[in-house]
Amino acid sequence: MGLKNKKVGLIISILLVGGALAYLALGNFGENLVYFFTPSEVKAFSPDYYQKKVRVGGMVVEGSMETYSDRLGLNFELTDGEATIPVTFEGIPPDLFKEGQGAVVEGYWTNKHKFQSNLIMAKHSEDYMPIELKRAGIELPRKDFMKSLIQ
Amino acid sequence: MVIEIGHFAVVIALVLSAFGIASSILALKTRSVDWVRVGRMSLTLIFILLSIGMASLIYSFLIRDFSVHYVATTSNSQLPLFYTIAAVWGGHEGSLLLWVFILSAFSTIAVWLHWRTQPTIMPYLIGMECLIIMGFLLLILFLSSPFDRLIPAPLDGKDLNPLLQDPAMVMHPPMLYMGYVGFSIPFSFAMAALLSGRLGEEWIKVTQRWTIFAWLCLTTGILLGGYWAYYELGWGGYWGWDPVENASFMPWLVGTAFLHSVMVQEKRKMFKVWNLFLIIVTFSLSLIGTFLVRSGVLTSVHTFATDPERGLYILIFVTTIIGIAFGSLMIRAHKLKSQVEMDSMVSRESIFLFNNLFFLVATATVFLGTLYPLMVETWQGAKVTVGPPYYNTVFMPIALGLLFLMGVGPYIPWRKASQASLKKNFLVPLVIGLLSTITLFTLGIRSIFALAGAFVVGFSGAAICIDFGKISSLYSRRASVSFIKGSLAAFTSNQRRYSGLLTHVGVLVLVIGIIASTVYQTEKVVSLKVGDEFIIDDYRVKLERIHEVRGKNWSAQEGVFEVYEGDLLLTKLRPQKRVYDATQTPTTESAIYAKNMGHIFLTMPDVSPDGVVVARGVINPLILWVWGGGGIMGLGVLLNIFRPRKRDE
Repeated sequence: MGLKNKKVGLIISILLVGGALAYLALGNFGENLVYFFTPSEVKAFSPDYYQKKVRVGGMVVEGSMETYSDRLGLNFELTDGEATIPVTFEGIPPDLFKEGQGAVVEGYWTNKHKFQSNLIMAKHSEDYMPIELKRAGIELPRKDFMKSLIQ
Repeated sequence: MVIEIGHFAVVIALVLSAFGIASSILALKTRSVDWVRVGRMSLTLIFILLSIGMASLIYSFLIRDFSVHYVATTSNSQLPLFYTIAAVWGGHEGSLLLWVFILSAFSTIAVWLHWRTQPTIMPYLIGMECLIIMGFLLLILFLSSPFDRLIPAPLDGKDLNPLLQDPAMVMHPPMLYMGYVGFSIPFSFAMAALLSGRLGEEWIKVTQRWTIFAWLCLTTGILLGGYWAYYELGWGGYWGWDPVENASFMPWLVGTAFLHSVMVQEKRKMFKVWNLFLIIVTFSLSLIGTFLVRSGVLTSVHTFATDPERGLYILIFVTTIIGIAFGSLMIRAHKLKSQVEMDSMVSRESIFLFNNLFFLVATATVFLGTLYPLMVETWQGAKVTVGPPYYNTVFMPIALGLLFLMGVGPYIPWRKASQASLKKNFLVPLVIGLLSTITLFTLGIRSIFALAGAFVVGFSGAAICIDFGKISSLYSRRASVSFIKGSLAAFTSNQRRYSGLLTHVGVLVLVIGIIASTVYQTEKVVSLKVGDEFIIDDYRVKLERIHEVRGKNWSAQEGVFEVYEGDLLLTKLRPQKRVYDATQTPTTESAIYAKNMGHIFLTMPDVSPDGVVVARGVINPLILWVWGGGGIMGLGVLLNIFRPRKRDE
């Protein structure tokens, strides 16, 4: 094999392996994206969005939480101040999940207009609020950090 | 008063960093060694001043001076002493100070260490390090100061996040930073090589130990983080592709590519531009990683929005450093054409090339997954996350490919491998690899990940063992000593090579642990009352009682669970549900029993007032191999760093 052929062979094999790896990295990228919505947006979902994995952030409505006696899981309502959606959750909620606090749930919106979830995220910080809500212009009640320090 | 001394010291350090840059430039202009000495003195003083800064902050924590804003936000009067020191780097401001402190320590050591042998490099090294130090000090002093007062002082502090009150978390950030910062030394030497035009192999040889030391620290830091996540976060896993984890993983991936690819330049004088590119990318990713995590840009984008100054500053600083680095690389690239061409596709050089390709694609994947949500949010306003399944599907083939190359690379000759040598070196390992897959298959294992993993691990492990066995028996016969003594002699005969291979063995052990504990993990969640029991795997777990426990700054409900195998009582596990006093934050503390190199892992996520307990049991087979493999990797690297010097080094 001449010098030129070797070089071509090398370049081709790099391109092949690199291409395969790039395909691997980009090929199923889109499927693994999970979008974030507010309860108002979820309520307005067209049927195309039913059964699609999404995340929803909001505040857990006071007095809405129900647990089962026979199995793990709970029902509660999530609100962004305008719309409220019912959530059915299977599993163990995180330590910081409480009524009246912010939470992000992952799951899908069903045609029965219920949110089915198996993952709740509540951040481990007292003054936490889902950032996405803040950007949507929704203010949730939270402790004034400086005041709590000085009192 | 003490904190003001520290503050003042850091301000002087900032002035001196500008002085260090100026003296380096003057040294290059006037070619006078006196200016280099001035630079060296500035850098040494910066180190001393930053030590004073750190000491004053630690002191303020120890005397619990809550009139210091940072102390008040990250500690509390009831916080145990050990965690009070850890609280110094428990927040954004303090951890940035720790970063720049380590940077000043490393660069001062590097300057004094290489002063005699590398006189021409010194002005560049001092100038570059002072520039990075200055960038950090500006950020610390003007946008993120741990020295600010809080007047009037609160009676008590807000407390350190309970999840961070943990031994592994005390060491995790310093280790990571030592890794990030360690890469700044080879980076600065590379920049010196570029700017001075001395583009030989010198910079690589001089910094080889720095590179591998930085890599060791980064690896240890990542493993400590994983170990912490494993038992403290209580979900029984150790890696979740969280953006914060990814930020430390990216420099690790490129750093690993770099420390392999420099060997090609040392031996064959190839990959010159490539190696410069790799170290620049490694250090850039270290900077980006620090800032992404510490500015909070990643976990919650609003830190960027509410503190646009900090975000903007960070962006400008990182872009400046990266711009200078890549700019010089582009200007000099034409001088760097390697004089040697690749001889054959089937050679060690080409294996290294593919090793690098795999590592870079892995890095690009993590980079895309970590930053894509940020880009989408910035430009489209949509909020999106990239799920762990994405990383898992991409990383599995990449990891398997790399493990295969790991068995080929060390045993294939440079330049060109003959067919005979290929057959001699790889036939037996290939057979052993296939046999391990077939064995697992007949044992009833059907997971593709496990079966493919068995092949590459069997192949690479066999290649290493056979080669080392041959050499050891050669040495033992030659000196007529025992096989063990022979293998020790073989190891020390080429310690650089064999310590590297020991690290590879550690990787293989780690991978076996990862495969077993992810593919064959069993999980069970139940709710039960005192006296009830549940079955998980081969074990029977019985809740004996629940009682209250009191710690220094928390109180907890502790469940006592008896774990039986058959009728034999193995152990009593005591998971807790804690509430920390200061913040009233609940946490779930896991209880672990090690058996057959695996773990029986128990948490108690919920205790209701009527005595119903939610318990979660996880059986993690071979999980100890993950940490054991990490230990072997670390040992290999230590033996590499502390190998006897050869004459040509």
